[in-house]
Amino acid sequence: MNLAIPTPGIRRRSVTGLWLRHAVSFVRYWKFVITWVLIEPVIILVAVGFGVGKLVGSIEDGVSYAEFVTPGLIIGNAMFHALFETSWNAYNRIDNDVYETALTTPITITEITMGDILWAVTRSIMTVVGTSIVAAMFGWLTGWEALGILIPAIMVGITFGALGFLFSAVAPHTTFLTLVFTLVASPMFFFSGSFFPIEILPDWVEPVAWVMPLTSAVHIARGFALGSLDMSHLWAAVYMVAITAVIWPLAIFLLRRRLIK
Amino acid sequence: MTNESQTKNDAVRNLNGSVIQAEKIRKLYGDFAAVDGISFNVEPGETYGLLGPNGAGKTTTMRMLSGLSPANSGEINVAGIDVVKDNRAVREVMGVVTQHDGLDGGLTVFQNLFLHGFLAGLSRKASKNRAHEVLEFFGLRDRSKANVYELSGGMKRRLAIARSMMTSPTVIVMDEPSTGLDPQSRNRVWEELAVLKDAGVTVLLSTHYMEEATILCDRLSIMDHGKILDEGSPDQMIERHAPKEVAQLRVTPASLRTVRDYLNERAITFREVGALVSVTGVNGDRPDLSGLESVEGVRTSYRAGNLEDVFLSITGRELRDE
Repeated sequence: MNLAIPTPGIRRRSVTGLWLRHAVSFVRYWKFVITWVLIEPVIILVAVGFGVGKLVGSIEDGVSYAEFVTPGLIIGNAMFHALFETSWNAYNRIDNDVYETALTTPITITEITMGDILWAVTRSIMTVVGTSIVAAMFGWLTGWEALGILIPAIMVGITFGALGFLFSAVAPHTTFLTLVFTLVASPMFFFSGSFFPIEILPDWVEPVAWVMPLTSAVHIARGFALGSLDMSHLWAAVYMVAITAVIWPLAIFLLRRRLIK
Repeated sequence: MTNESQTKNDAVRNLNGSVIQAEKIRKLYGDFAAVDGISFNVEPGETYGLLGPNGAGKTTTMRMLSGLSPANSGEINVAGIDVVKDNRAVREVMGVVTQHDGLDGGLTVFQNLFLHGFLAGLSRKASKNRAHEVLEFFGLRDRSKANVYELSGGMKRRLAIARSMMTSPTVIVMDEPSTGLDPQSRNRVWEELAVLKDAGVTVLLSTHYMEEATILCDRLSIMDHGKILDEGSPDQMIERHAPKEVAQLRVTPASLRTVRDYLNERAITFREVGALVSVTGVNGDRPDLSGLESVEGVRTSYRAGNLEDVFLSITGRELRDE
């Protein structure tokens, strides 16, 4: 983490300390978590790639449906990981006074979100790398350019890591967190161009789809996967950064309101 | 406890003043003043208690002192640190035991300590070593690999106290160290706090158990409705506010009416808590209860005045009423 970037007021130990806490907990429960990191996305990948892919054939010239859907599924799955970490898991940490205890050390709310989001990014990378290797073995992800998928993987970790806090920080109970999936994760997963090009949606739905940050992430990932990068991918990246610049400070504000009484 | 903490302690003493200074601190929630302009000092090596019922403002006071909650007004100084200006620095020097143990269920006993020490700023090696030391001291070494949810309530509490000792602090605040514990566990916590006190650690604790306050505290404040009503050593407080002696009548439901009538006829003030009627004499004289000796189902005994009586006398209500 020693990147020599000046970070005024940020105590590095707070961020690495929290990250280490998540890593230690992850290692304790890896047998269970690994099923979600690797087994579940591979199940979906195989079902959609081989199953639906057989029916659809090719999506555009020279691109099979499996090749088209792979970056979408990989990035969509990464979104679930990032969101879950900072909504469900973070809510439990609020509820069980884990943050309250952490705050008795010299840590700030901003650093808490940084440590947690760094872990959300870590989870995103783990699942993206694991699933990408499997997809590559099936021949659905080829070429060195595909390594670039790590870039949207990191962005998804940050954006959706920050977004998850908007729910955990205001949730009165765990049932409330169902909204993360019904309002955010599911609509994004299905309407962000993971499964089909959003151009085929009705005209009025398409702009809505572009508002959802996952659409941009999938777009970038597909650009790397299919080797078709152009300026549109840069704009997608700019949009993700911009929306994160709104969400993250809001997350800090809400979490501070919840924890510092 | 260690050389390092000894040096820190000396540094604190060299300031030639109080470890904790709270000056007219106030905390508002909307219009409601949870803490209403209280002031007190805690001297080096002292164990100081905030005694009061739930809702008196004890927890809010401790949260303000440990930099977890900003005060609306007032001045707070802990070990030379201006807490209002720098709430981060105070958390480097102070150990905090929060009201709910706040243990991390995703980690083992050892990991709870190690990761807390690391987050607080110890190197990995130092934190590991310290975690072993602290586990040894609190008699939790054989539970080091256990999940925290496997621990008894007393062990959880002791682990939470152990955690606050990870950085070898010279001053710790503890919010109700023994609430909810069985008598054995409570005694154990008290013994361990006594050892910390011997090691020179300054302790600020809150409690609504007068027994705990009597045993542990050098000095204490009685708090109610966000205010400090009086301050002193337990003995001073008892001398100031409690009767020398209180007669306690253990009554049966059948004899209660007779007892009430007898006391009312003679205009003797009394209070009832369950099957216990407490009678306080006037000007230190024993009230005349001779007429009750023959009443069946009444057993009379006398006890010395205690902090419970102090609280009653100052606030007009029972400490145990919450």
